Parts: sequence; structure tokens; C-alpha cells
Amino acid sequence: MRFVVFVKQVPDTSSVGTDENGNLMREGVPSILNPYCEFALDMACRVKGEGDIISVVTMGPPQAESALFRCLELGADEAFLLTDRAFAGADVYATAKTLSAFLKKFIPDHDLLFCGRQAMDGDTAQVPAELASMMGCGQFYYTEDLVFSDGWKAVQNYYDEERECALKKGDLISVSKGETDPRLPSVADYIRASGTEIKKLDRVDIGLGTFSVGLKGSKTRITSSRPVSISRRGILTDGGDPTEAAKHIKGMVR
Amino acid sequence: MASVVRRASSDSPYLRDESKITGDADEIFVPETEEDVVKTVEEHFSEGRPLTISGMRTGMCGGCVPFGGDVLTTERLNKIIGIGKDSNGYYVRLQPAVTVRELNEVLRKRSYSNLQNITEDAVGDLLNEGTDFFYPVDPTELNSSLGGNIAANSSGPRTLKYGPTRNWVRRIRAVLPDGGIIDVKRGDIKADGRLFRFKTDKRELEVPLPSYEYNMNVKNSTGIMARDGMDIVDLFIGSEGMFGVLTEADLYISKWHPLISNIFFFPDNGSAYSFVKDIQKSGMEPEFIEYFDSGSLDLIRAARKRDPKMNQMPDVPEDAGSAVFMDFPIDGALMRKYMEIGELSEANGGSLENSWCGHELRDRERFFGFRHSVPQTIFEYVAGLKGEDPEIHKMGTDMSVPLDNLDRMMDIYSETLERYGLDHVTFGHIGNGHLHVEIILKDMEDLEKAKNAYRELAVKAIELGGSPSAEHGIGKIKREYIELMYGNKGAEEIRRTKEAIDPKWILCPGNMVER
Repeated sequence: MRFVVFVKQVPDTSSVGTDENGNLMREGVPSILNPYCEFALDMACRVKGEGDIISVVTMGPPQAESALFRCLELGADEAFLLTDRAFAGADVYATAKTLSAFLKKFIPDHDLLFCGRQAMDGDTAQVPAELASMMGCGQFYYTEDLVFSDGWKAVQNYYDEERECALKKGDLISVSKGETDPRLPSVADYIRASGTEIKKLDRVDIGLGTFSVGLKGSKTRITSSRPVSISRRGILTDGGDPTEAAKHIKGMVR
Repeated sequence: MASVVRRASSDSPYLRDESKITGDADEIFVPETEEDVVKTVEEHFSEGRPLTISGMRTGMCGGCVPFGGDVLTTERLNKIIGIGKDSNGYYVRLQPAVTVRELNEVLRKRSYSNLQNITEDAVGDLLNEGTDFFYPVDPTELNSSLGGNIAANSSGPRTLKYGPTRNWVRRIRAVLPDGGIIDVKRGDIKADGRLFRFKTDKRELEVPLPSYEYNMNVKNSTGIMARDGMDIVDLFIGSEGMFGVLTEADLYISKWHPLISNIFFFPDNGSAYSFVKDIQKSGMEPEFIEYFDSGSLDLIRAARKRDPKMNQMPDVPEDAGSAVFMDFPIDGALMRKYMEIGELSEANGGSLENSWCGHELRDRERFFGFRHSVPQTIFEYVAGLKGEDPEIHKMGTDMSVPLDNLDRMMDIYSETLERYGLDHVTFGHIGNGHLHVEIILKDMEDLEKAKNAYRELAVKAIELGGSPSAEHGIGKIKREYIELMYGNKGAEEIRRTKEAIDPKWILCPGNMVER
């Protein structure tokens, strides 16, 4: 089996403060492997069998190498860093485009794709879906477990219902749950990771031009941002008579 | 601005510390400036009224616990003032209630924008340094105040490499019991033999020092320092607030280098100890060596069962019967060291697989949380027992011996405690010959037995060239060890030194010696 895990390096939000304008103060804040991506990697490691290969991929600046090193320590077999000045400013579309171009060229014969549900910094949760769409594969959000019985099945939790979905070769799952206390590598894991080369690829290697990647390849522009607070009024409707209650809610929505 | 004054209710946190003994006081003074401190101290001096100094109250021996009189808490003297530089390197000028954690946060994040230049361009120069800096004394309780650290000459695991607090103090500024101010840096005032002569803005003082030999060969916080020709800064460090209220200090900081934390698991206590000896022989020089016996690991397992979030670590492996915790610098020599450690651990029943390691900041913090969870678990256990019987308190040894005698001392610990029928766990700074043996008291009867056993152990530690109180100090609960170590004469000489600076015994009375 060939499993590919897409990961991102993010600022450790547990130690990020905001200034009086609501902007993140990133000074001195360490970068870490996005926790949801670690859940995705953990899941791949859990189902990995003899002879299976886990490849991890990230798009980011050179220092994102440390997030890949973390993945190698935690059990990944090989790591790819997609890094190029032209990748800067990529929105979710340009990111998914870059990742899919890499995948098609370098690991075309893959069995399952793993993503974390969302990154702790951007919080968009869009890249897994766009990547799946570009790859033309099935996408399975909110996956909490992966089981093998008569083929791979993703166990999903949509809060009001839990379901098992059969996966086809090449499908993508987006993982939303994992260990609260992250695993720790052993010294043997650290030594193995230190001896594994992290392969660096730029836009030429993966076959994309400057207008397909980064800011130039993006469909969205952030023109300004501001902190917003949403207050919910939390109105409860008397549920004694369902028809009356429905009418009441309908009136409020209007 | 005058100090805020509060009444001390009987459940006031100012009446206790981590020793869990409880005192009594009338009022709590909360000065906001040095002038407030002077005013409060002067008033107490003129009335001859006791005043106990309190910091973050993380001490283990009741040093900040008042028995009568009032409390002066330094908690609002909590500013980092500035950065300076001299021939020994950079230093930070700060007020006493800044905690070890706060100082290191500021250094790590390089948030120097509000800091003064104590020497020309020091802030800018530090900002332009290619490497980060840190304060290297790690008393394990990172919420302890640096003023408290100085008063207790705190040490901890990193003392193996960096020495105790004493080695990092450049200057102190303190309000003496009569309200006079002393502001001295190292080298300003030296003792003439065993006698200090110095002036404050109020008076001239002649302060005789004890004649005992202060043991510097092991970690030692028993008694005040006394040596021929010593520096006056050293008289205040480790004096447990007996001589003055610290209002400012300059602490040196050190270049930080990336480290990797490691915990190796072993099948039993003997195999871990044998591994430690092999490491010491190898000349590998880890930043520190910490040991956890099987009882400590069981305590962590039990605490995690009750509260899985207690230390953010994975579960301790089921087959682990002991563990050794070491930090190494991440440098060109690391892989070679790991190869050697691999062989040494296998020779003792461990392996590189049966270990944890972490080099990211968040992971290293988890390792220290794990380390801290052992004493923490014991505190909580004792706090629970106190509910049933308020007389019960914790009994943890804090004795150091020279490394050559550690074998002998470990045998003495187990032999003595078994003879008394006392349950205990052992952990701590094995690299310094300084283990904490925590006696688990189940009832009042155990407490009595533990007191006798502790005294026996203290005598043995002194006989083996060690100290009965290596890093926690004496405070109120270990006073008898002063006489044990220095005899009646030594205790009397400490009283004489105290009397020369504090003729009315108003500051922190009852610490180290009674009047």
C-alpha cells in the first residue's frame, strides 16, 4: 500500500497572542506540525502494514522541513518539501493545484490520501476537498477511524450520525480526531528520521508555471481582515406543539 | 503610593507554602514600590514587630510561612527592568517577584521593547545576537519567584551543568531590617576574614560570620554561607530572607543551544542506576541526569488513571520499572553519543526503542511537566491526607552526598526506611548525588516514624560528606539540621550574624534558627 499524507506547518496557536488590533503576534512563536495533520499521520501509521509506505508532503518555506522531520520521527517513510518563492501567498485553490500536480507526477500510484481536517492558522478546511476534486477522487471529511473489512472503510462522525463509507483506491480522507496527548518518538525513531533525506522540489520539478502557483495562481485575494465577534441570542422555542413551534421559527427566520 | 494592606483570614494563602504547614499573621502588606517596602519595614522595626517575606510561596520548608506578626508579599514588585552587559556577559535587572517562567518567556520571545538599557545599547545588542538567551537555573517549579530563588539559592536538575542560583547573581539591592538600603554587586564588599564591615544609607554595620566550613563540594542549602573573605552578595543569597527584603537583582543569562530531552526506560531500579553509573563513566556530560524509581512511575500511572490530562504525556510503558531522564545538546556529537547510549542501555536491559525523546519546545515542556508531576502527585496525596488529619505533612528528603558515596547512601535509604516500615519513592538529581526520597505517610504514626528515620538519614548524609538540605533550604521545618550539621556553636553563630543585621529579629523570624 502507498499512503500519502499532506501536512502543514503552523504557528503553535497555544502560545500565540494577539495585539490590540487583533493581529496575531508571531514573534518568537514556535512552529509545529498542525495537530490535525498529526492525527492524519497517526491514522496512516496505525493502519500501515508490512511493506506499506507512508509518504508525507508539505508545501511551505524551507523551515517547514522541521514539520516533515517530525513526521519522519512519528513513522513516515519518506518526505517531500514543495518549496519555491513563487509558492508564497497561495490560496486554497493554488495550494491544492500544487499538491495535485506533485501527486500526479511523483506518486501517481497511491492507495489512499490523508489530510487533517483543517490547519490551525488558516482554518479554511478547503484544501482537502479541492485536492480531491482536482484528483477526481472521493473525499471523506470528518473521518475519525479507518477500518479494513472487505476493503478500506472510513468511519465518519457528522455529530448527528456515525457512518462507515467504503473507500476506493486513490480516495482522500480528512481526519478530524486523534490523541489528545501527541505521541513521542523514541530515540531510535529520531535516529532513523535523522538519516532520512527530505526531498525538496520546486515548481519546475513538479511542472507548474508561475501563473499556476502562489499568489498569481490564486482565485482569492485578501484585501483586509478584521476581528469579528458573533453573538448568538440563543432563543428557545416552546416545543409543546410542533406545528406552532415550526411557525414560530419560520417567523423568526423571516 | 503606600502598600495595600489586607487582613489575613485564617484560610489566607499567605499563611502556607508547598511544605503545607500553616502559620498565622495579622496583616498582609502588598508594596508596589521600594519606598513602600522601606516604609513598611521601618514601621515594623520601630515597633519590633515580626514581618515575614513572601514571594510566590512555592518553597518547600515554610520559609515564607509567618508565625505571628505580618506578611510582606513582593508579588507586585514583578517588573523586568532592563538589560545590561559586563565582562561576564549579559544580565537582566529585575524585581523579585518575576518568575523563572516569565523571565525565560521574555528571553525566548525577545520581547525587550519596554526594557531599559542598563549599560549602553545592551538591549539592542542582545536583540542582534544570533542565538537566543535563557536563564539556566531550573528549580523545576517554574512559577517560583526569582527573589525566592535567590533567598533559597535554588538549584535543580541543571545544577549539574550550570551550578546553583548563586553562580548567576551579579548584584542585589535589598532593604535591611532598619529600612536602610544596600545595593551591591559582586566585588564591591568582601569580608575581612569572617567579618563584614559595610555602610547603608542609615548606619555602619559590623557583621561577624559563622566559623563553620560551608560545604561547597555538594549541592548544599543548609545554613548561611560562611567563608573567609567571601563576597557580601553571597551572604544574602540563600539567607532565607533573614537579612533583608530583596527589591532588585541582576541575574546573568546564558546562550541557549538546542537540546533534545530523552527518557530511557529500564526493567528495575538497579538497572537504571547501573546505566547512570555507566553514563557518568563515559564522559558524555549530559545537561543533567534525573532518576525515577519504580514507585515514582507507579505514582504517575495512578495519577494518570485518575486524570489522563495531568501531564500531557503518553502512558508510561507497562513493562517500565524505572527511568532515566537526560538532556543533550543537538550538535555534531549527538549521534555518536546515541550509539554509545544504545550499547550502555542494552547492557542494562533497556534499548533505544524503549525511550521517549523530544526536541521541539512544546515536547521539552512536556518532559519537564512529567518530571514535575512526581513531586506534584505527592503534594496532592499529602494535601488529601491533611483533610483527614491537619497535622500530617510531606516528608521528602533533600540530601546530597558526594558521587563516590551515592552507592552507600542509596543502600542506607532503603535499609533505614524498610527497618521503619515506611513506604517511599525515590527520584531526582542522581547526577549530583542528590536524590529525593519521598516518604509516603499514611497516618500520624507514620509521621512520627518518618521524623526519626529522616533524622537518622540526615546524620548519615553528613557523615558521608553531604548536606541534609541540598536545595530546599531550612525554613521552619528543617531547623534541627542546622545543629546536626554545624553543632550548637554553628547555630549560635548564625544567630549572632542575624542579630548584627537585624537586632530586633523582625525579618522572617524562625527561618533557619530561632531567636
